[in-house]
Amino acid sequence: MKRTVLLLALTLMVWAIQPASAASRDYITIVGSSTLYPFSTVVAEQFGRATRFKTPKIESTGSGGGMKLFCAGVGVEHPDITNSSRRIKKSELDSCHSNGVFHVVEVKVGYDGIAIANSKESTHMSLTRKDIFLALAKHVPKPDGSQTLVLNPHETWQDVNPTLPDLKIEVLGPPPTSGTRDAFVELAMEAGCEQIDWIKAMDDRDRKATCRTMREDGAYVEAGENDNLIVQKLESNPNALGIFGFSFLDQNADKVQGSLVDGVAPEFEEIASGAYPVSRSLYFYVKGAHVGSVPGIAEFLAEWAREGTWGDEGYLTDKGLIPMPAGERDEFAAAIRNLTNLKL
Amino acid sequence: MSTPALALAVALLTILGYWIGRRRSFAVVANDTSKLHSRPTYHGFYVAIWCGIPAAFVFFFWVLFEGYLITDLVVAGLPESVVGGLSADRMNLVVNDILNLASGNIVATESDPMLRAAADHYIQLQSMSRVALVVLVLSLAVAGMGLSLRAVQPHNRVRNRVERVVQIFLIGSSTIAVFATIGIVLSVLFEAIRFFEAVPLSEFLFGLQWSPQMAIREDQVGSSGAFGAIPLFAGTLLISFIAMLVAVPVGLMSAIYLGEYASRKVRALVKPLLEVLAGIPTVVYGFFAALTVAPFIRDNGSLLGLDVSSESALAAGLVMGIMIIPFVSSLSDDVINAVPQAMRDGSEALGATRSETIKKVVIPAALPGIVGGILLAVSRAIGETMIVVMAAGLAANLTANPLEAVTTVTVQIVTLLVGDQEFDSPKTLAAFALGLMLFIVTLVLNVIALHVVRRYREQYE
Amino acid sequence: MNNRGGADMPVDTTQIIKRTLARRYRREARFRRMGLFAVVLGLAFLSLLLFSIVSKGYTAFWQTFVLMDVHLDAGVIDPEGTLDQEVMFAADYGGMIKASLRDTFPEVTQRREKRDLYRLVSSGAGFYLREEVLQNPDAIGKTIQIWVPADDDVDMLMKGHFDRDKPEEDRRIKDQQIAWVDRLVDQNRIELRFNTTFFTAGDSREPELAGIWAAVCGSFFTLVITLLLAFTMGVATAVYLEEFTPKNRWTDLIEVNINNLAAVPSIVYGLLGLAVFINFFGLPRSVPLVGGLVLALMTLPTIIIASRAALKSVPPSIRDAALGVGASKTEMVFHHVLPQAMPGMLTGTIIGMAQALGESAPLLMIGMVAFIADAPGGFTDPSTVLPVQIYLWADSPERAFVERTSAAIMILLAFLFSMNGLAVLLRKRFERRW
Repeated sequence: MKRTVLLLALTLMVWAIQPASAASRDYITIVGSSTLYPFSTVVAEQFGRATRFKTPKIESTGSGGGMKLFCAGVGVEHPDITNSSRRIKKSELDSCHSNGVFHVVEVKVGYDGIAIANSKESTHMSLTRKDIFLALAKHVPKPDGSQTLVLNPHETWQDVNPTLPDLKIEVLGPPPTSGTRDAFVELAMEAGCEQIDWIKAMDDRDRKATCRTMREDGAYVEAGENDNLIVQKLESNPNALGIFGFSFLDQNADKVQGSLVDGVAPEFEEIASGAYPVSRSLYFYVKGAHVGSVPGIAEFLAEWAREGTWGDEGYLTDKGLIPMPAGERDEFAAAIRNLTNLKL
Repeated sequence: MSTPALALAVALLTILGYWIGRRRSFAVVANDTSKLHSRPTYHGFYVAIWCGIPAAFVFFFWVLFEGYLITDLVVAGLPESVVGGLSADRMNLVVNDILNLASGNIVATESDPMLRAAADHYIQLQSMSRVALVVLVLSLAVAGMGLSLRAVQPHNRVRNRVERVVQIFLIGSSTIAVFATIGIVLSVLFEAIRFFEAVPLSEFLFGLQWSPQMAIREDQVGSSGAFGAIPLFAGTLLISFIAMLVAVPVGLMSAIYLGEYASRKVRALVKPLLEVLAGIPTVVYGFFAALTVAPFIRDNGSLLGLDVSSESALAAGLVMGIMIIPFVSSLSDDVINAVPQAMRDGSEALGATRSETIKKVVIPAALPGIVGGILLAVSRAIGETMIVVMAAGLAANLTANPLEAVTTVTVQIVTLLVGDQEFDSPKTLAAFALGLMLFIVTLVLNVIALHVVRRYREQYE
Repeated sequence: MNNRGGADMPVDTTQIIKRTLARRYRREARFRRMGLFAVVLGLAFLSLLLFSIVSKGYTAFWQTFVLMDVHLDAGVIDPEGTLDQEVMFAADYGGMIKASLRDTFPEVTQRREKRDLYRLVSSGAGFYLREEVLQNPDAIGKTIQIWVPADDDVDMLMKGHFDRDKPEEDRRIKDQQIAWVDRLVDQNRIELRFNTTFFTAGDSREPELAGIWAAVCGSFFTLVITLLLAFTMGVATAVYLEEFTPKNRWTDLIEVNINNLAAVPSIVYGLLGLAVFINFFGLPRSVPLVGGLVLALMTLPTIIIASRAALKSVPPSIRDAALGVGASKTEMVFHHVLPQAMPGMLTGTIIGMAQALGESAPLLMIGMVAFIADAPGGFTDPSTVLPVQIYLWADSPERAFVERTSAAIMILLAFLFSMNGLAVLLRKRFERRW
């Protein structure tokens, strides 16, 4: 019996190894951010169904890992496109160049709103960005008004701002490795922090260190990146607030409510118009050298740049992507057509 | 002849070789097998080995290198106008076009006649190679069979040779573990060294604070980043300990009940059912821990006046304990079951009750196996990520209080590796350092465990 | 034992035994009850988990379909009348579905309302229609009736996951849409049907079009590799270490090594796979072959440790007897010891494979956490596996993926049950008590 098993193993191994030698690829490979993954896959699927090309393969690796794979070189074993929830860094582009990836096309696809929400059973909050900073930063100005920084003493929202409810501060949010957290820190915390004049007047380094460091005493809970879980945790814990992407708020409108930030609700129109302050851009990067070699890249990019895809009424809006203004769309559609090489 | 078909043919020839070899051995001694040095089966195996292994080797390597060779030949045959000045990477893309053309896939560009020709060349070379392969492999198999059949003689010490082959196979297998270890160390070492260039080793080893709040983007000046690994290891220890508090008693008592008290039917049914616990995806456990157990603990804790955070080591540990019950129960049950009945009978004949027999005789005899199962369970607890992320969070607190949020080494490794930050930053590289460190720590613990087990092991029979 | 008091006080041991007997029996009963309790506890956890999975997931096996009258306009599908597949493939079927919806609800005229109306049926409905037309080109020019999947929001409404009584802005689905759905129900144009798509399709971002077939195939190919390699290598290693080598520092080293490998977090095996199989050997990313190799390395320690424990527990007398009647060492091991140790080895294999079947972390590094719409046809096609599919769906915002996640878990468990069933049968055949 052992003998047969062995033989079978050998047979299967050989069968398995065989096509590996012919390293051809007739589908697009995409890697990168888990934030862009839900949008990228919708486009890929539409593209796969509507054309004769194969549906692209999309890995969810995180922006950093995606960039690393993308910049590893030119050739079929390297991905064609990487999704990113942040802009590419200079050092990353340099590493691309040093590995022979000279032609990188940058495409911005739209915006993702970041909501601060709590359970429907709880009070609907209306926060300012300064409140957010005072509630979540590690060091805040001493409550007595003197211009010194102390470890954040605020226990309840009322401590932060007397008009807010007397609820314990408990915010579930992404870990420091997340692009969502990064955007939240910059757009909500730092903006709120700079409303305090004497902090704004500090030198760059100290100011950023103050504005960007989250408290670590348990009031800010580093939950994982599973936004569905955060929604469900909020449901079972009405005292907590959660930070997550707009699409999850949109899908769970019966369970959670998005807090107003600076008086603006996290709603589609408000984010699209830019009135809601906490939203960030999503990008993808295309390897120019692969266009024309891996089948379907040009057509896939064309699918992205259709109005029916990323336009005001395109199917991506159903999934929660906030479209760019028409002018910006034209700009990036042109970048796609001309395969404009990115310079930083 | 396609590759699977050829592989099948070789396999069939090998089996055929076995039968012929066996029959021949009967024939050479006119069915009086006592005249044979080696039993007929060995003659069968001997022929099978000669028939199958050389052919398989050639087959394997041919198939492995065929693609590269043919591609090189095709590339060499390309006209200068195509190849001119292309770097290796670009060449790779042109080759992709040719291969896609050759296998009839959709191609990106309008097919260039030059590439079309190259593709035809490729197909032609490939079919030639295939024919050559089939001829070579099949003739090797048949030749091997023919030659080895001559060795079927009464006095030929075939058994020793077959056993030699078996031994080589066994030794080969046992080195895989060593190679895997070397591979793991090598695959984390270089990045870990780069990490230690940015963060001093002493800070990593003895730092009491873990807070990788470093800048993700370039224009940001980094806020604090502290890379002290102690809180992570403490968290790992705490959660694993809680998990073992659940898994060991429940698992061991289940094993004892199933092995010693339950009827055969109950045992046959319950044991595989418990094993299902190990196979339920960890996402399910994670949701269970985060949405059922954690709120339950929090609400009851606040009733008792305890301050319980929403994410607690206790919730994660308890649920993880459930998940690893089968590691303890099934493995212990097997070894308990294998303790000779005579030992139980002896003990009971002396007047001991069942439970006394179990405690004094069966468990000591089965101890090495039980410890092995528990070690496996601990290993699984250390390696688990999903439950911890979902129920205990990611905040690295240095605490022994099971009601607070803690995090584990593995969780941090995963989060850092899939993060959005730049891959070559210390933040990501920390994952490799943690991997290496965890590897060393578990190695030390295992060395200790080996010595402890050896000291307390009871030899029976 | 008990007559340490000296010769002046003769002790009747029977007395002592009788005195303590009741207590010992009570202990015995307590011990037994504890065992039973542990078993019941384990089973209770299992049934709790299974119940939560099944109660959430069983609805995913049905899917809401809408009956539509679609006019197959020859001018749109096949203007030249050539029945050319390529022309027919590229026609605008979505538009025809939309036209049909407008015909069913002629009062809808406003742009915004129309958008809401179109959202009643799946965005993939057009592709269903295309399949139908490509298979029956005769129907072009006629009006046909076709069942197409409803949108996931409508599906959730029909299954009662949305509360109609809540205020409109708290729902994904608007009052107007509910009224339309109710009208379709009155006309018998909407019904729940068995969800074959779930079993036959690959991944999709539209819950109503998503299926697990691609992931099942991926898991199958991956686990075949894992099982073959991990079982043969694991058993061989255990046999070699237990039966053939003398106990010395070298075997100690290997033993510690193996125990240590079991404690290596699974994602580190992913790093190993990335470095060795993909970067060094140049195997492609995201393929079952590499996934299987990585998982095999990951499960190897479990199988080796369980197998060694099983081999250790075979009584030495068996070996002595076999050697005594003239068997060679190899014969002794393979003919006598191995069959006795097989149940334990199979247990290790079951647990190891259960772990491999449910593992997603190491696959992340080798690119198998991916969106794969087409089922893989072999060991080197890009594919994903069931636990990854479950993880990805659990992370999707759409509400309808909740039940599909649970349903996928049920499929995974079915996979596990059948794998275990086989091993349990084998284990039963080999099991014996000494």
